[in-house]
Amino acid sequence: MSRVLPFVPVAVAMAAWEAAARSGKWSPLLFPSLERIGNELARFFTHPEMLQEALLSLERALGGFALAAAAGILLGVLMGRSRLVGELLDPLFSGTYAVPKLALFPIFIFVFGIGSLSKVALVFLECLYPIVVMTYAGARDVNRTLLWSAQNMGASRAATLRRVVIPATAPYIFAGFRVAVPVAMIVVVITEMVASADGLGYQVIYAMSSLRTDRMLAVVVVIAALGYLLDKVLVLARDRLIYWEKLDTYYV
Amino acid sequence: MIRSLAVLLISAFAGAALAQDAPLIRLGRGFAAEEQLWLMSVRTDLTPNQGKKYQLKQILFQANPERFQAYLAGELDAGTAPGMALIPARQQGMDVKIVASICLEGVGGQYFTTTYMVKDDGPIKSVKDLKGGTIGVVGIRTATDLWARAGLINAGLAPDRDTKVVPMAFPVIGDAVRTGKVSAGTFVEPFYSAEMAKGGLRKLFTAVEAVGYEHELLDLFFSEKFLKAHPEAVRAFLADYVAVTRYYLKNMEQAKRDLHKAGFVRTPVEIYVKNHDWKRDPDARVNVDSLKKLTSFMLEKLQWLDKPVNVDEMVDQSYLPK
Repeated sequence: MSRVLPFVPVAVAMAAWEAAARSGKWSPLLFPSLERIGNELARFFTHPEMLQEALLSLERALGGFALAAAAGILLGVLMGRSRLVGELLDPLFSGTYAVPKLALFPIFIFVFGIGSLSKVALVFLECLYPIVVMTYAGARDVNRTLLWSAQNMGASRAATLRRVVIPATAPYIFAGFRVAVPVAMIVVVITEMVASADGLGYQVIYAMSSLRTDRMLAVVVVIAALGYLLDKVLVLARDRLIYWEKLDTYYV
Repeated sequence: MIRSLAVLLISAFAGAALAQDAPLIRLGRGFAAEEQLWLMSVRTDLTPNQGKKYQLKQILFQANPERFQAYLAGELDAGTAPGMALIPARQQGMDVKIVASICLEGVGGQYFTTTYMVKDDGPIKSVKDLKGGTIGVVGIRTATDLWARAGLINAGLAPDRDTKVVPMAFPVIGDAVRTGKVSAGTFVEPFYSAEMAKGGLRKLFTAVEAVGYEHELLDLFFSEKFLKAHPEAVRAFLADYVAVTRYYLKNMEQAKRDLHKAGFVRTPVEIYVKNHDWKRDPDARVNVDSLKKLTSFMLEKLQWLDKPVNVDEMVDQSYLPK
């Protein structure tokens, strides 16, 4: 039963879509049937060049995410464990978190060019914030007893950081990753829609400009599936690496 | 006195009732090269039928896909679009009829034609030199995309493989070319004049040179449903449209000043009134042959169409004044 349950909302949404598409109330050009979207999905997976486009978008998203993860963990831990760094950078991150970085994309194009670099740079910037904020919260929240115990046992600062602070912060870091991964996909697709000659975002805009809503939705399904898969991989990695803190909710 | 007042009141009520009965045309418009159409909303004194035989509501759209989506959703009865965008839409099954021309990419020094420019002191001397480079257009599968691809094909280059075609907004293309972010860019008025005034750019080819003949740029379309339901309203609208087109062609500077004052155009007025204008037919007749040639080009060279489109069937000029 619990295995079937997650598919129920998806099935309901698909049934509602099909009912709307068959109602004849809207143009099939705007509201294509599931069959047409399915055909386009099959076309996507049988065309190697389309898979190449998916791979390119994935590279851009993961490239930016990886850079943000490295920088974000470093900055977050430093901010959480050093009062000076925290007081220096916290206002900067809190003050600019709400800024829609996508608005800066034209500037990124001028600095990094129209190719992959501008997109990776924007993904990096968008992903950096949730990772820094979550890591910062985790690094500040390390149990003092654990820190004192490590110091009493003669652990150096580096050893305390490696053996106590990082493991204690890891759940927060993964929470930041889970927020950042879908952000990476969204940003990459939008930037490819705005200025690109390749990638899944380009395929979305190309299909849209050709009035092929069925084809566009097929690409959207691929993007959603990629996002879902990336999240599953992340959860799997989290459960393996932070085996002592598996998510276990008690329902009332 | 009382009788005069009664007559006045009855006339006012009758006029209001007539205006309420007049079918409303919800028209999706763009942001460039549609001056005579915009003028219909600014200078209603030039449109005697407006308010009596039809009502007009113009709604601004930034790009064709959004305009077509609103049209398909039943939020528009008519609109403006490049003929070459309407052809694939018709092929997809969109209920659409081209009823009049707005402007053309015309031959002749007195007309403006969309121009592709490169850096003046850059290495690109001919279209062939664009191999390995990038060309900036305003949108994928738009008219600017078609001309760019036509220019590349003429020079023996394969678009996408030899030269990338990337979408970018008109206002940033000038700087993108100057800073080498793209090798060439698309320029239309008023950006063309503004960029030429800044200097540092040189013409590579024009839209007319790319396809090799004068052709339709923007057209007016209606849904067949609306045409069948309100033929008289469409005739009255097009009679006004042709009258305003003729007025515009004869009084271009004044018309442009009126449009600028009404906020339809943001370019500094002195630059705007001096710009060369696109070619416009005073009778708003559509150059059907050019649409047929463009259809063949899209089908055979660009593979933008899966099958041929009957252009004669999608153009209906019977609503235009005789």
